[in-house]
Amino acid sequence: MWRKAILLSLREKKVFTVFTLIYMTLIFLTSLFIDLGLDGQLGQLAWYFVLIFFGVSLFLSLLYAWILVSRKRRVWATFKCIGYTNKNILVLVSGMIFFTTLVGFFVVIEVLFHYAAAVAYLTQASIVIEPKVLIDLVPVVTTSAIFIGVQILAFFLAYRKVLKVRPIIALKKVGE
Amino acid sequence: MIEAIDVNKEYRRAGAIIRALADVNLKIRSGEFAVIQGPTGCGKSTLLNVLSGLDLPDSGRIIFDGENIARATEDRLSRLRRQKIGFIFQDFNLVNTLTAIENVEAVLWPTVLRQKEIENRAITALRDVDLLDRKDHFPVQMSGGEQQRCGIARAIIHRPRVILADEATGNLDPESEKQVMDLLQKINKDMETTIIFVTHRDLSQYGTKTIRMDKGRITKVQ
Repeated sequence: MWRKAILLSLREKKVFTVFTLIYMTLIFLTSLFIDLGLDGQLGQLAWYFVLIFFGVSLFLSLLYAWILVSRKRRVWATFKCIGYTNKNILVLVSGMIFFTTLVGFFVVIEVLFHYAAAVAYLTQASIVIEPKVLIDLVPVVTTSAIFIGVQILAFFLAYRKVLKVRPIIALKKVGE
Repeated sequence: MIEAIDVNKEYRRAGAIIRALADVNLKIRSGEFAVIQGPTGCGKSTLLNVLSGLDLPDSGRIIFDGENIARATEDRLSRLRRQKIGFIFQDFNLVNTLTAIENVEAVLWPTVLRQKEIENRAITALRDVDLLDRKDHFPVQMSGGEQQRCGIARAIIHRPRVILADEATGNLDPESEKQVMDLLQKINKDMETTIIFVTHRDLSQYGTKTIRMDKGRITKVQ
């Protein structure tokens, strides 16, 4: 069912792209400020920004869960008619949310790797660019892990909303 | 195989109480093609909802293969729908982001069957409804009749005991309607699947049993 969740995510191109980009940006910025905070470069300000970004991440997770369940109520109602349990639907919805965050994480890693590779290559030609490593791996991984942990609240919201989707909605005429 | 015994159902709408089903007693035997016919608001869709377990009666019993489903748990009803019931919807209810074959396969995704087996069954179902050449097309690329045939393929992939159809031809032109009804007749005969078809139109010529309803009551069974 997780593979089907990935399939459904990728087919929802607009929503998937928008949320992946947002998560990617949030993971990048949060990791950057954690890195700066650990280095003591911005003092307390860095940690305030980190808190704000985590809050934004929580809000977005809840929003994404709400969009996935509410905008596709008829789909979930139809799935219930054809034999899906609430748990089956939750696996699909949570898989879609989780996959989007994971893709955001991997895009950030890719960007950082390419940056480090480009800097290393240019250093060979005596072109010195600082910093050599834009953001350490540990803050990125920690941020992503916390973002994924934050998704648990989104899963709860999704589950509560999925429970309320009545299969009978699928039998109503469109627009009714 | 499906029996409604002294079934009553009321709704509250805009402050008024509407008696959707009044002392309904009905028996549909295995292999029958029952057409439930009546004017809009007569309770036929409510009867279908109650027979399938999508809605609970206020009183009475619904016996499905010997089991009273009026008091079954949600999980039990889900299992029942997955194993024994197929649905065909008036508005097709296909997932727009899935191809025809994926829409059909979706019924079996929660099962333990391997993907290859699911795909094979979906191909068989699409072949049965003569839609195999459109298996990789999305619903938006298909006509209304083709979408409904895809809906029928989805309803038969797991070889259910009974298919429930609520105004399944309501959004189709006459030619597509005939195609769909002929297909359902064929499924009823070849697969011995019980079909319960709700409609406000006179399609009794397709069924082996016609049940007429009016004001929440069954007025005639022939």
